Amino acid sequence: MNRSRTVVLEGLWYTDEHEWTRVEGDTAVIGITDYAQRELRDVVFVELPAVGDKLTFRKDFGYVESTKAVNAIIAPVSGEVIEVNSKLEDSPELINIDPYGEGWMVKVRMSNKDELKELLDAEGYSKLMEILEK
Amino acid sequence: MPYIPHTETEIKQMLEQIGVSSVDELFADIPGEVRYSEKEPFAGKSEVEVVREIGSILRQNKTYPVFSGAGCYNHYVPAAVRSLISRSEFFTSYTQYQAELSQGFLRALFEYQTFICQITGMDVSNVSMYDWASSLGEAALMAARIKKERANIIIPKTTHPARVQVLKTYIKGADLNIIETGYSTETGQIDVEKLKNAVNDKTIMVYMESPNFFGVIDETAPTVSKIAHEAGSMFVFGTDMLSLSVLKPPADFDADIVIGDAQSLGNPVSFGGSQLGVMACKKEYVRDMPGRLVGETHDGKGRQGFVLTLQTREQHIRRQKATSNITTNHALNALASAVYLAWMGSGGLSELGSLLIKKPKEVAEKINAIKGWRAPLFDSYHFREFAAVSDNNPDMINRKLLKEGIIGGFPLKVWYPELGNAVLYCVTECCSDEDIERLLSVLKD
Repeated sequence: MNRSRTVVLEGLWYTDEHEWTRVEGDTAVIGITDYAQRELRDVVFVELPAVGDKLTFRKDFGYVESTKAVNAIIAPVSGEVIEVNSKLEDSPELINIDPYGEGWMVKVRMSNKDELKELLDAEGYSKLMEILEK
Repeated sequence: MPYIPHTETEIKQMLEQIGVSSVDELFADIPGEVRYSEKEPFAGKSEVEVVREIGSILRQNKTYPVFSGAGCYNHYVPAAVRSLISRSEFFTSYTQYQAELSQGFLRALFEYQTFICQITGMDVSNVSMYDWASSLGEAALMAARIKKERANIIIPKTTHPARVQVLKTYIKGADLNIIETGYSTETGQIDVEKLKNAVNDKTIMVYMESPNFFGVIDETAPTVSKIAHEAGSMFVFGTDMLSLSVLKPPADFDADIVIGDAQSLGNPVSFGGSQLGVMACKKEYVRDMPGRLVGETHDGKGRQGFVLTLQTREQHIRRQKATSNITTNHALNALASAVYLAWMGSGGLSELGSLLIKKPKEVAEKINAIKGWRAPLFDSYHFREFAAVSDNNPDMINRKLLKEGIIGGFPLKVWYPELGNAVLYCVTECCSDEDIERLLSVLKD
């Protein structure tokens, strides 16, 4: 397999469990990273919460199933789900194709923005990548 | 595997290791009266003598005609069923986890699932649960997963009461409530008004059975389905699979989950079992379904093959987040049902189904003609079973029948005291005309 460098985008927040968060005002858009989708390989199913469900910081809120494994998705922030990427229901492969874009999972209205301080920035996550991909 | 007995020395070593002085002491906790007194009953006897002795014990068994059902049904099992399931590849096989080694059994179970989908009209069937009762418990937990914010389960009193007891055990700890609703004592069918009053935005599922515990074909099913769906609840339908030979497939009235028993399809009755729990559902709910699923696929060379699929619902992968802690099924019984259905064919099945409507009806009419008897008790269509009532105590009648070598009906007062002396009679193709005449003559007496 051609193992090009894992993409880490500037301006996003990351967990060491490989979820990313894009902050837009009070809203957090959440997905899994390029590294996560590569490790999982072909994603075949995603279970996501419903609009109105509450996410709790560091608690799992759904799972991703690939032909290789099943992984829980951990909430990078707390808050209420305001939108769910319904495209993933029929096209879970979007997570593989475009993990930071079309493969987003949920949008959450954050209840505690201080939690963001606990996350890694692009530089911190890149360092983690260096260790993991050595 | 050969039988290798332990030597005296090994036994002594093992006992010493655990600090017990003798084998008798090891079993000291088991009360003497239930322990077998003779240590080696056939010691020193030849094979011929042993066979003769066991034969003479077995000959004391008697085969009586059975007029009792109540969840366990005495149907004829064609010789082909026993012959095919006795093949060692099926009979001695373990769980079909390893597709490379289990293509035969996986294919057979896939066919079972296909048959269940065909007769229920549902999209997906699992490879079976333990029995109808475990299917009901699992269906309730499944519905609760789908309707997360709700907590109430509606159970009409026409449901098999033993099944309701199992359900109560199943949902312990799940924070769910069971609300039981009444039935019409005239028709033996669901009291729709009472049920409707119990259904609301807290309802997880509305459950009903037809034919119900009284053998009554409950014609309220489409109405109950509508009531459930209008409240945003699941509609779960329970039935004995053999009844679908002549009754509408539950998909026709929009059942979300169909459960039931397929013991009646090729599995003999033996001390009340073993049963075969059925579970089928709409495709949209498959991820929340418990139990194993066999799927069709192809191998690297494009050849058809079968595997266990969607295993991420299951315990060995999802651990505490699995849909159920059930890790097995009744594979051999499911196989028996698949062979039975293939053997009978749709023609044979509908012929048997019609007989199971006509024959009990004729018997009910004959009982009704006996002075002091009323049958059927409920003014409805029946399948295989019907309730009959007289002035006599049903236990007395059953004792009299047993003396004549007949197993009588099920006394309903066990669970339905309001029905007094009513008895639930079951008539299958295994009851001969002569058996029926003998039954009637004792009831006349």
